[in-house]
Amino acid sequence: MSFREMAAWGMALVMAASGAYYLKLFFALTVAGGVAPPLAAFIPYTIFVIVASIIVQTLLAILAPIGANARADERERPIIERAGYWSGLVHGTAAVLALMAFLHFSDSQLLFHMIVGGLILSQFLEYVLQIVLFRRSA
Amino acid sequence: MMSKRLPITNRVRELREQHGPMSQSDLGDAIGVTRQTIAAIEKGSYSPSLESAFRIARLFGVGLEDVFGWDEDAK
Repeated sequence: MSFREMAAWGMALVMAASGAYYLKLFFALTVAGGVAPPLAAFIPYTIFVIVASIIVQTLLAILAPIGANARADERERPIIERAGYWSGLVHGTAAVLALMAFLHFSDSQLLFHMIVGGLILSQFLEYVLQIVLFRRSA
Repeated sequence: MMSKRLPITNRVRELREQHGPMSQSDLGDAIGVTRQTIAAIEKGSYSPSLESAFRIARLFGVGLEDVFGWDEDAK
């Protein structure tokens, strides 16, 4: 398994775990308050994502220092770009849906959560797509 | 996962084994790609760029068509 694929696995797991944590937090606070929860309640989530990402990247760099320092090669670069393209489309679609929801509900907190949720989903899909494409061309 | 076979055939593994033998990592380092990319080229699931193809051929001291070929039966 190449370093890029290992990194994609690591970050896909981080995004899946953080996404599940975000959803749990969101629904727990929504049920309690009846409306989209305030943004400050998601500070623990932000800290979780940052710390988990640093831990995963540090572990990968320790396990594969040469791969961590190397640039993506000619086979890996188009895969990373293609995954990034589809991820961008997903995030863009989520942003448009969030704006439509804002026009309908006039809830800026919900707008924020939909965009952040879309970002988590798009990042998760980006890493999963990288894994699939790396495996398909291996 | 099944990878699609491409119409470009190659003798990279054969030439690599004649030279040394040279590992996939050694060849990858010599031409600036990862070991996994060399493995994919040898399996026929990835066609290298023209630049990498020339680098491989020059490294083995042979012509491009001595390393790479075209499979007429491939779709």
